[in-house]
Parts: sequence; structure tokens; C-alpha cells
Amino acid sequence: MPKLRLPKATLALPAWVWLLAFFAAPVGLIIWYSFGYKPSIFGTHANDILSLDRYAEALSPTFFSTFSNTLWVGVVGTLACLIIGMPVAYWMAVKVPVAKRGLLIAAIMIPFWTNFLVRTIGWQIILAPQGWLSQGLQAVGILDGPLEILYSRSAVLIGVIYNYLPLMILPLFVAFDRVGEPLREASKDLGAGRLQTFLRVTIPLARPGIIAGLLLVYIPLMGDYITATVLGGAKGNMAGQLVAAQFQSAQNWALGSAMAVILILTILLSAAVLGLIIWLATLPFRSHYRLRLGAEA
Amino acid sequence: MSETATKRIALDRSSREGAPQGTPPAARAKPRRSVSDRLFAIWGILVLLFLFAPIIVILVYSFNTGRLLIAFDGFGIDPFLTILNKPAIQNAVWVSIRSGVLSALFATAIGTLAGVAMARRPGKWVGWFLAVLVLVTVTPEIVDAVSLLPWVVFLGQDLGITIFNDGIFRLVVGNSLFSIAVVSYIVRARLVGISESLEEASADLYAPPLRTFWRITLPLAMPAVLAGGLLSFTLSLDNTIISSFVSVSGTTPWPVYVLSAVRSGLRPEIASVSTLMLIVTLLSLVLVAWVLKRSGDSATEIARTMAGS
Repeated sequence: MPKLRLPKATLALPAWVWLLAFFAAPVGLIIWYSFGYKPSIFGTHANDILSLDRYAEALSPTFFSTFSNTLWVGVVGTLACLIIGMPVAYWMAVKVPVAKRGLLIAAIMIPFWTNFLVRTIGWQIILAPQGWLSQGLQAVGILDGPLEILYSRSAVLIGVIYNYLPLMILPLFVAFDRVGEPLREASKDLGAGRLQTFLRVTIPLARPGIIAGLLLVYIPLMGDYITATVLGGAKGNMAGQLVAAQFQSAQNWALGSAMAVILILTILLSAAVLGLIIWLATLPFRSHYRLRLGAEA
Repeated sequence: MSETATKRIALDRSSREGAPQGTPPAARAKPRRSVSDRLFAIWGILVLLFLFAPIIVILVYSFNTGRLLIAFDGFGIDPFLTILNKPAIQNAVWVSIRSGVLSALFATAIGTLAGVAMARRPGKWVGWFLAVLVLVTVTPEIVDAVSLLPWVVFLGQDLGITIFNDGIFRLVVGNSLFSIAVVSYIVRARLVGISESLEEASADLYAPPLRTFWRITLPLAMPAVLAGGLLSFTLSLDNTIISSFVSVSGTTPWPVYVLSAVRSGLRPEIASVSTLMLIVTLLSLVLVAWVLKRSGDSATEIARTMAGS
């Protein structure tokens, strides 16, 4: 029987079509809108005159401070997640007995799968000036007055660190776990101290996981909208809210689209710059010989 | 420092040589419980407490009998009873569940096909397709949201394709993007690890391609398909940003209801419903872990599958 040869990607065709129709096409549409303008009070967008004016408007001092604020929260939040999460991932992968790991992974994942918005509301309760934390700190004598942290950039920072920390810990755990005990033992047998083993063996081999963790945290964090809405108030604005406001309240789709495009470009560019900085900073620790995991078996 | 280090290595060696073959690493790690090990454990437990803090707060405040969520008044089950008299809340949860199930089914079907194709029909196209999936994953949700809104309005009102004016359908479209990517990754990862010999044997025994797919490929991929499906369900239940943009009044999903309550004033019922939803999410997670465990994956592999890497 002659067989009908379908093209290789036939099974993926529905996914292709769906993603083109509801991802590529709409994103393409807002890129197109971003070159237009808002024609009147009631119109949302018009494209009969094309210009880059909306980009200039989006980067004007009024909005620029929000973009730089977002970048600050993004970079500081991601680094804080790395610093807080790395010892936890190392502890889970190296120190904790294998039998208990499953439970710990589940414990890390539970907050991750609880409603994002509700968790953030939990922080709103904790950080409230009349809340338990505030009263406790005053009773102990650490604070003189009520805790004045809610609706500020610091509250947003705490919120984003909290919300994205599991996304850092999980890939780091997988990476540290893959390095495995024998290689660390070998390094120690060859005379390296603990710190040297960590810096020269564990970290270089876990690099893909570290990079994955940084990206998994940094990208959604930069586009965050909910944390800043719930905890930020007027002082802790982020770019996501700026974009949302142009579409929801100001009804200026052209400006909102330009802001969305700038947000994506900021994320991509700053991730590239951050990557370059990390690459340069780790150069002194790089050894001449590269060990590939999985190749030694 | 060097002296203690030598001792430790010596001790470690002796304990390893003394231990019978096949002793788990945990058993021989016991003798060297140093200060740094304890510091690691303390730090780990502190971070876990940090991760659980707001969830515990929500659990406690879901029994708040006061009028406002944020001001704790007394302990009681009143807020849970209030839910019964609030059709808006019940409706919102019901919309979430319906759109969540539909998106999960849809994303799992499409994503499984794509994952099977990537694993079994490799070629240059896989690189392109993965690039699109990565783009979907890295695009901030707010950008997806603001771009989907004008698009569905255009399709529904300007082009007159009426299904795009349907609230549930819009939510399914919004939820599906990320879920399709997740399911495709997981199914591909599973099948890439399994040799194609069974499918070849089936074809040699004259099974038509469709029967091979149903009887061989799909059962092999099943743990990943189920895991992907349940993950897309929880992801859809959680989807706030895209939903808040595309949703139509009357079909407000639960997270969007909460988001509007953040602006107008949070009441304790919100915490009570969240407690109930948390239980549902936890049960579905336990189900995922159980399915993966039954198929023989270790805890690490489960984490890897769920983290999508």
C-alpha cells in the first residue's frame, strides 16, 4: 500500500497555528500600534501617521523614573533571590539525606503553586502598620513607631523576592544535585578545601542551572504587575502597571504599546548586559579544563 | 584548618571503607556534622518559614470574623458561611474551574501532539518551534495581556467572529499560551528519554500509524501528559493578569474578582475561599507527584519535570 508521507511537523501544526494566531499576531499588532498615536479623547489608537513619538513620550522624565525603578527592583530582587536561594539549594542537594529531599522539594513548591495574588495579600497583612510583625517589633523595642514599610519600594522588593524565590531554588537544586558527590570527593582528595571545591568544581558545573535560575526570576520579575499593585502603592510603581494603566484607564493604546515594547527590549537588553557582567566577573575562577557532566560515565 | 580537614578526610575514608557496598550516602555523611552543616540547615529552615509565612497568615485570617480582612477581630467559621450567601464569589470560582479545566484539556491535547512531534520527528523545524515556545515563556504576562485584549476585540467585534465575545472562550485562549509551552516541554522531555524501538516494532507488526500512536506512543508519554495537564490546570486557576484584561463582565474568574477586591476593599471571605482553593491545588499536586512516582521517577526527576527543565 503506498503510504501518504505527511510533512514531519504535522502533529505540531495545531500548536503552530494556535501560537501564531494568539501570540505572534497580537504581539505584532501592538508593535504596529506603538508607531501610531491617540487621535482623540474617545479614540484609543490611530495609525495613519507613523512616528517614533510614542517611544519618546514613554521615555520622557514622567515615565522614565518608573522604568529605572523597575530595573532597580529587577536587578536587586534577582540578586537577592540568588544570594538567599543558593545556600538553600546547596543544603537540599548536598546536606539533606536523599529520603527527605522529596518532602523539601514539595515544601518549596507549595507556595509556588498557591495563588500568586493571595500570597501577596498575605504580605500586605504581615507588613501592615498595625499588623502582628509591626506590634511585635515595637514590643521587643526594635521599632519606636509602627512599621512604615507597606506601599513603598521596599515592600515591593520583599514581595518580589518572596514570589520568585522558588523559581531560583528549584533549578539551582537540580544543578547542584547533578554535580554529584564523587566529583566533590575527588576535589577534596586532591587537596582542595571546601571553599575551593565550591568555587572551582561545584559552581562551574552548576553554571547552566544558575543561569536558568537567574533568567526564570529576572524575566517575570521585570514584567511583574500584581506585586507592585498590591504592595507598592503610589511610591512603588513598576513598568507593568504603567503599561496596564495606558490600556485600562488612560485608553491610550499607542502609548501603552510603545511602553510594552520598551519593557520587552529593556528585559532582553538588561539580561544580556547582566550576563556579560557575570561572565566577566567569573573569568578569574574559570579553569582551563572543562569537565562535561554525563560524559565521564 | 588543614589538620581538621585531613582528619575529616581520613574519617570519611575509614567510614566509607568500613561501610558495606551500596550504603546510601546519607549513612556515611552522618559522622561529619560540622558547624557549617548546621548553619546551612538553619538557613534552609528560615527560608522555608519565609516561604510559608503569608500562606499561614491567610489560613489564620480565613477564620477572621471581622468585617475587613486586614483587621483580625475574632476566630470563627463565619467567613466560610458568608461564601454561601455570595453568588458573585461562587460564580467567580465556578468560572475559574470551568475555564481551567477547558484550558487544561485543550493545552494538553495540542501540547502533547507538539511534544510527540518534537521528540519523534526531529529536524530543523524543532529549533524554530522551541524558539517560539521560549518566546512565549519569556514574554511578560502583562505584554501578552495588553496585546490579546485588542486582538480578541478585533476578532470578535470588527470581524464578527462571535465566539471571541464569549467570556469562557477568551479565558481559555489567554490561559492556553503558557500551558501549551509547558506541556510541550514536559512531553518532549519524557519521550526523548525513551527509545523509539517499541514504535518501530509496532509498525513492523503492521499497525497503522494512528494505532501505534494510541497504543504505544501515548501510553509511554502518559505520565508526562497527566503531569502537564494538571500543571496547566493549576496555572490556569492562578492566571490573573491575562484574565483581568480579556475577561468579560459576567464571567469574572476568581483571581480577577480578588484583584478588584484589592482596590475596593478585601473581606475575610476572600481568605476563606483561598484556603479552600489551596486545598484543591494541593490535592492536584499530590496527584501529579503520585502519578510521576508510580512511573518510577525519583524526587529529583519530579522536581525537574515540574520545573519544566
